[in-house]
Amino acid sequence: MFEIRDLDVATPADPATPLIRKLSLTVKAGEIVLLHGPSGCGKTTLLRILAGLIDPMDGQVRLDGEDGDSIGWPRFRRQVVLVQQRPVLLEGTVERNLAAPFAYKSADRPYSADAARSLLDRLGLPGGCHAQPARTLSEGEQQRVCLIRAILLQPRILLLDEPTSALDERIAGELDNLLSEWVATHPSAVLMVRHDVALARAVCTRAIDLTPHHVARQTVEAQR
Amino acid sequence: MMPALAAATDAAVPTILPLGAFELVLAAGLVLLAGLVSVLLRLGLERRLTIAALRTVLQLLLIGYILRYVFELDSIWLLAIVVMVMLAVAAHAAARRTEAYFDGMMTASLIALVASSLLTTWMVTRLIIGVEPWYQPQYMVPLLGMILGNSLTGISLCLDQLLTTLKDRRHEIEMELALGATRWEAARRPLREAVRRGMIPTINAMSVVGIVSLPGMMTGQILAGADPLLAVKYQIVVMFMIAAATALGCIFIGLLVYARLFNARHQLRAERIQTRQF
Repeated sequence: MFEIRDLDVATPADPATPLIRKLSLTVKAGEIVLLHGPSGCGKTTLLRILAGLIDPMDGQVRLDGEDGDSIGWPRFRRQVVLVQQRPVLLEGTVERNLAAPFAYKSADRPYSADAARSLLDRLGLPGGCHAQPARTLSEGEQQRVCLIRAILLQPRILLLDEPTSALDERIAGELDNLLSEWVATHPSAVLMVRHDVALARAVCTRAIDLTPHHVARQTVEAQR
Repeated sequence: MMPALAAATDAAVPTILPLGAFELVLAAGLVLLAGLVSVLLRLGLERRLTIAALRTVLQLLLIGYILRYVFELDSIWLLAIVVMVMLAVAAHAAARRTEAYFDGMMTASLIALVASSLLTTWMVTRLIIGVEPWYQPQYMVPLLGMILGNSLTGISLCLDQLLTTLKDRRHEIEMELALGATRWEAARRPLREAVRRGMIPTINAMSVVGIVSLPGMMTGQILAGADPLLAVKYQIVVMFMIAAATALGCIFIGLLVYARLFNARHQLRAERIQTRQF
């Protein structure tokens, strides 16, 4: 269970101005939660805080009652993986990128080339792609490699920032199917920020409006 | 105790040709030649050249008198002041030239310079040359000067490269952290590249020394009448000493930047890096 308690969100550049106040949210395995709201309302910053890349002004983020301070931040982030909107890949082949996180000390399982190829295949990056230099791929292809890299880690919580921004509708639909199947067969959940709210609602089990005055009200409703 | 390197070549009797004020005035004629070129080609460098020449004379004469005074007086306190001034100026120079900076960078570069240069100077004076005590001014001051002159360039390049990488490739580093990398796992590649960058001038200098360039120290010794082979031996020690000091300095500054810009929660504090407005 992933718990967000009384979270105050602000950017490191402007820590005095909270963008989101007192956000509380509990996400259970099997859920796909959509986070939406006007641009600049703090969605991306919220995801970065949930992944522990920056600190919140106030509040807690816990996975099964533990936070990064208690289990160690690398281990926490191995369980709560963030895929940022802009695809970021290392120098080297697609396969090298997919395998890289399995070399970290926090890795708890070996890299599976078979699992990687089947995911690449499924998201329209067919055979031979794994040997290509990752940075020569198109932006949409790079975005899919980043998504696959995160899914391969089998995190408990997958945080996705605009995962479909560079994907066409067909691939975006395939990603949605994949995510639905994934949360149904793994003890995992997805929290995602999407601009195509209408499409995203079809796959999400819940939607959270982050428009400033909405947050407090939804929190109250959730606590009833 | 007699310095071991010097003792090895007692046979070579140095013949030092004295340089007086008249000879120095003649040397100034060389600067006039450079000024003439500037006038003929309308380079407009006369004023700057004059100031630079005057500064050379004043600064070197001043340090000459200070060194003579320090050597004669043989006071540890005076030596300490000279060493501290040298270290502070070097730290300032190392930290001043980078494009990006962070609060406390001057202190970090001072720590890196103090640790690397004093350690290397001690190793050379005490263990290799065998001076007793190891901080004898006549050996310590010139050696430290040569070490600082070189390692500050290394530290400066290393700092510049590291800060630029951490700023420009911030997303790459945060991506690795987001996938479960420790701060060390995420930082080691930029650190390695920065230390390598800082070491390159020293390694280049080591590879061409004696072929393309005759180092100033060695040339000076030979001109002052020393046996070339003795001068070469000293130069080898100096080159190795510079290499060690630069490598240590780059590693120290890299680790200090790492400690300052990555926190215990394995976050990159990229907002601490600021860009200088030139």
